[in-house]
Amino acid sequence: MNLILGMDLGVFLAWIGTLLVTVLCIIYGLYYQFIKKTQEEQPPVSSNDEPKNSKEDQ
Amino acid sequence: MDVVFFVISIGIFAAVFFFLGYLGYRKTKTAEDYFVAGRTMGALLVAFSYGATFISAVALIGFSGIASVYGHSILWLAFLNIFVGIFIAFVVYGLRTRKMGLSLNAMTLPEMLGNRFNSVRIQQVSGLIIAVFMVAYTSAVFLAIASLFQVTFAIPYEVCVVIFTLIVGIYLIVGGQYAVMWTHAVQAIVMLVGMIILTVMIYAMLGGIVPAHEAAAAMTPEMLASIGSPAATQAPNGLTSMPPFLSQPFMMILTLIFGVGIGVLAQPQLITRYLTAKNEKALRLAVPYGGIFILLMTFTAFSIGPLCNVLMYRNNIMYPTKVVAGVMTANPDAVVPTIVNDLFPTWFILIFLFAILAAAMSTAAALFHTAGAAIGRDVYEKSVKNRISPEKSILITRIATFIIVIATLIISLNPFDVVAFMTAFFFGLMACTFLAPYTLMLYWKKTNRLGVWVGMLGGFLFTIAWYVLIYFKTAPKIIGSPLVGNYMINMLDPIFIGLPLSFLLTILCSILSKQDKTEETIMKKSFESISK
Repeated sequence: MNLILGMDLGVFLAWIGTLLVTVLCIIYGLYYQFIKKTQEEQPPVSSNDEPKNSKEDQ
Repeated sequence: MDVVFFVISIGIFAAVFFFLGYLGYRKTKTAEDYFVAGRTMGALLVAFSYGATFISAVALIGFSGIASVYGHSILWLAFLNIFVGIFIAFVVYGLRTRKMGLSLNAMTLPEMLGNRFNSVRIQQVSGLIIAVFMVAYTSAVFLAIASLFQVTFAIPYEVCVVIFTLIVGIYLIVGGQYAVMWTHAVQAIVMLVGMIILTVMIYAMLGGIVPAHEAAAAMTPEMLASIGSPAATQAPNGLTSMPPFLSQPFMMILTLIFGVGIGVLAQPQLITRYLTAKNEKALRLAVPYGGIFILLMTFTAFSIGPLCNVLMYRNNIMYPTKVVAGVMTANPDAVVPTIVNDLFPTWFILIFLFAILAAAMSTAAALFHTAGAAIGRDVYEKSVKNRISPEKSILITRIATFIIVIATLIISLNPFDVVAFMTAFFFGLMACTFLAPYTLMLYWKKTNRLGVWVGMLGGFLFTIAWYVLIYFKTAPKIIGSPLVGNYMINMLDPIFIGLPLSFLLTILCSILSKQDKTEETIMKKSFESISK
């Protein structure tokens, strides 16, 4: 059986896939850190902390 | 190892956590502070806290043990842990969860569901489900770690359980979510150090990455059988190859990969981490930190597991065993501790034990906090008619958390079989119960209260029934033997059926019934906050 870095194809795909998906995470972070400017959001729309009384709960 | 030195080290470890607990106490002024650390956490803290909560001692020791049985094919779980557990979790779920949580003024998953669908009962019932199963899961986390320390230091099991539970309980009850997040950062660093050194040393012992993998591939079933490794039969194509399609090991790996890999999306203790982020950018930047952290935890743990077989074979170490019901069986949980104890220098044994302890403590702290909030804020507070002040809300949750800690302690000191199999099905149960309502709440405007009720309870009851009656790992322990027999269906994790069923029920019932006016108003507000 042909082995890649000592692993068969199915295991090698998992191995390299794990590393590549980590690279994807890093690129995502770099993109939002240096390229894309995100808007800082507004304060909460609602701060209503009252206990609710829905029809179902009455 | 010198027990006195270990006790002093653990004293220093505990002192650091108590100090952080005290700082958390000083900083906690409002309910928002106590439950979601004032929504002020930056990217690194969110990522470390999420990772340290996600990766428990069971994940490090247990899963590397499982890898020693099934081989490197378990690396698919590491792939899903990062792709689903980090990337999809933060990008698809985290960002919307945080925005909707802010708009609904929610600080827990049950509160989000309750506020979004205008139902106190949804909040209470989901809070109760979370609390009950989390207590069992937390006690299983302590059970595993206390057993490890009992074996390594011959410290009585009861003493270990009491010490660990008290340390975590004190800093978390006093310092709330701030203490949980800050201690997670310290614990994550300890875990990183331990796992990096362990992995580098194991690969170094075997001559590097490729020689190590080739040595594992060269292990024949006869060689594996000579050290008593279950991999002789469970990794029929070799330690670095996928098992035959649809064989029993293949199904085991498939069920494990999807059960844990997908189940992570609906864990209430992880969802809370999104709510602690100070802004959208913090969540986005947590993605690379989280990805790297999980890589250094699971990828390393799953990579070294199969290699332990090679080390045991070369060093004449027998695969560890334990007695279950009078029968000697292989004990994968003890594989990595055995290798560390037998082949590593004393200084590293201490680092390794602290890494495992940190993994257990970080997960337990998040579970205690989430379960305490579920009982205090979601169940008790919502059953009280009068408005509760923020100070009283914190006090109630502190008392609830104390009760949870004591309940966990009692169960851990008197462990019964149910605890062991509850660990196995905690992830799947939470996914089948909450993932459909939670996902549809975030993405589908037509989701309504009836849909959430039916989807949530349908998924919950189906999963419980499957585990009790059919699933081969749990049914024999509960009813004696699986109802169906030794077929492929018995090996199927309920997540494969329970999750689609829960989605189907939620969607169907939401189509068949309408939102009332209040629900509609809240829905519009929630989605407006997301599009901003």
